[in-house]
Amino acid sequence: MKTVQTEVPEALYNKAVALVNEGWFRDEKDVFSEAIRRFLETHQSELMQKFVRDDIEWGLRGND
Amino acid sequence: MIEDATDIVCDTGPIIHLDELGCLDLLADFKEILLTVSVVEEIEKHRPVALRVKLPFRVLRAHHPADERLTTMCRIFALDRGETESLLIMESHPDAIFLTDDASARMVAERMGFRVHGTIGVIIRAIRRGRKSPEEVLSIIGSIPSRSTLFIKSALLKEVTVQIKKEFNI
Repeated sequence: MKTVQTEVPEALYNKAVALVNEGWFRDEKDVFSEAIRRFLETHQSELMQKFVRDDIEWGLRGND
Repeated sequence: MIEDATDIVCDTGPIIHLDELGCLDLLADFKEILLTVSVVEEIEKHRPVALRVKLPFRVLRAHHPADERLTTMCRIFALDRGETESLLIMESHPDAIFLTDDASARMVAERMGFRVHGTIGVIIRAIRRGRKSPEEVLSIIGSIPSRSTLFIKSALLKEVTVQIKKEFNI
């Protein structure tokens, strides 16, 4: 495991703490790890490439 | 055959990115540019000058979702208020095109069966619509890293450039 030190807006941190207090996560670290995992899932390189290639196709050959 | 221009529902990103690139006017040949209240608030916060451009903007309030899958997916993919409300507007305007540069919002839109594109598509479309020459579009694409906050890796931008040059024998 890597340790990362970063700053987050207080409101964001408070929301993470609230999720922990409500019993959805063991601690804040789990909240942030899960958030990063989900972000990385939707920002995979292949996916971003597909979106740009779809845009090229629409831009060149779309009908609207 | 080119159909009559359609409506677009626009997220914050493309408005800001197109304005940074000096080509927000490329949205002028869409019938209406539907914006949610929260998207307008975001633009006013980050690039208020963009809203002063004379374009067929219309501000709409998001309705309650007809399909609960949409709000569930917006939550799962952690979409922000602007993206979520824009997708709710898409639900009531299914023939419109959703413009976003956010990968998560685009993924949700695709899963909901909406037509979705981004800033790059709008810029390239300008050639097809006769609003820019291929050379002008190449110049705009080339200026993305220095003039806009839209981040696309350089290899992919190069691919866009190569495709346009190939298409128009430049």
